[in-house]
Amino acid sequence: MQAMTEAQIKITVAGVAKQFDQAGSPVQALSNVDLTVRAGEFVSIAGPSGCGKSTLLYMLGGFLMPSAGRLLVDGKPISGPGVDRGVVFQEYALFPWLSVFDNIAYGLREKGLSAHDVRTTAERYIALIGLAGFEHRFPRELSGGMKQRVALARTFAYEPTILLLDEPFGALDAQTREIMQDELLRLWRTTGKTVLMVTHDVNEAVYLSNRVCVMSQRPGRIVQEFAIDLDRSTGREAVVLSDGYTAIRNAVWLAVRQQVTIASRSVP
Amino acid sequence: MSAGALFAARALLSRLLPFALFLAAWQALATSGLIAANFLPSVRAVAGALIDLGASPSFYADLGITLWRSLGGLMLGAVIGIPLGAGMAVSRGVDGLFGPLVKATYSLPKTALIPLLLLWLGVGSATSMVAVMFSTLLPFVVYTYHGIAGVPQILVWSARAMGTAQRRLLWKVLLPASLQAILTGLRIALGFSFVIAIAAEMIAANTGVGKLMFIYGESGAYDYMFAAVTAIVALAFVADRITVSISNRLLRWDDIENRLG
Repeated sequence: MQAMTEAQIKITVAGVAKQFDQAGSPVQALSNVDLTVRAGEFVSIAGPSGCGKSTLLYMLGGFLMPSAGRLLVDGKPISGPGVDRGVVFQEYALFPWLSVFDNIAYGLREKGLSAHDVRTTAERYIALIGLAGFEHRFPRELSGGMKQRVALARTFAYEPTILLLDEPFGALDAQTREIMQDELLRLWRTTGKTVLMVTHDVNEAVYLSNRVCVMSQRPGRIVQEFAIDLDRSTGREAVVLSDGYTAIRNAVWLAVRQQVTIASRSVP
Repeated sequence: MSAGALFAARALLSRLLPFALFLAAWQALATSGLIAANFLPSVRAVAGALIDLGASPSFYADLGITLWRSLGGLMLGAVIGIPLGAGMAVSRGVDGLFGPLVKATYSLPKTALIPLLLLWLGVGSATSMVAVMFSTLLPFVVYTYHGIAGVPQILVWSARAMGTAQRRLLWKVLLPASLQAILTGLRIALGFSFVIAIAAEMIAANTGVGKLMFIYGESGAYDYMFAAVTAIVALAFVADRITVSISNRLLRWDDIENRLG
């Protein structure tokens, strides 16, 4: 039984701290962060801005190394970036010199897929995100929502088992954001990936996740966890208007708000 | 005439106006008697000389050799300068080795090297080309360096996340992302290349438009000297426009305001 639970744990963060050197003086971004994410789980991290939640995500991406503690994926320490972990960045990070098609094909080509497989997979994802006819456009010719869809598609296309999302919908208007959230929910449900999302939007975190972790002000650590048990099959309106959603949303909002207030009070 | 064509014609006229005013002022000054006619030839005399040169095959040979020296030196500058700038941007060791040299020679007029190059390489194309190479090296180094240093971290990270190995980042991300900067460096280097090739030819060559200008100047044939200058200005202008048009074709993915004018 113990072995089985072990096998289901996808991500382990144990006692992680991160210190930056900012203009010669050390800044403690994270201290003593503990977190486990099970395979197939959708976990969000919410907290005041500047609390180091993106730093945690970048360490899981393998771009930054922790100052202390351990980060494991499938029980193995993270030593650098890897294709098992797909990352979607705040500003999309599409390659501006590549067309929509080539952006989505990038990860597939790096994976060494045959030209035929690259084409069929990329075309499937282009159709999936509703951008058929835009294959040869460059990112600068796309709206924010379209860029975000390309960013999600290019990450899903090469099939990482873990998705690391850094405020993926932060730059979108409210309507597009809702559409994209439902798109993500659908993709997550059909692919069964493990998702860790960083966001400052409490509604978004509660609506999408199985679990929301609230982080403290800097140095960030996880101060509270909320299990979210909502029946999402009823559609957005039914979910958002339900008493269950409202109650948990309010609880998470209060927890985040508390951290924000502490943060603003500590500013001299 | 349609409104569009009328607008285009007016735009063209307003562009030509400064040149027309310049030529008119020149002609007026030349015919005013303020400057001796043999020191400042009239526009008419220069145009006549230009037509005369245009009919001479040896003039085209001189233009060709000057073009070869400029562009050959420019290529050498690119082949050395772009990898050097890229190396300095990605490696602290390379930067430590070459950075101080680049800073120290930044304000040195590269024409000062011509007498020394003449001593080493003798009279001929090698001296001109190496002089051009030295003077175009810095724009390539500086623009490539700043282009690569300015590539957003997030693009590098996303390539790494999608499986691009560290050693392939230069080709896959850093160079394409800094293409606009490198092409700006190319355009500036192109301007230098003609100036330096001409200057080197005046001192250290027996052929080329630079030498021709020097001979005409020495023998007082100022109308022919000005005609040769005009020809080289036209050649440099055409080379610049070709560079801009190729650059903008290569940068068609980039924001309009980042393209070259």
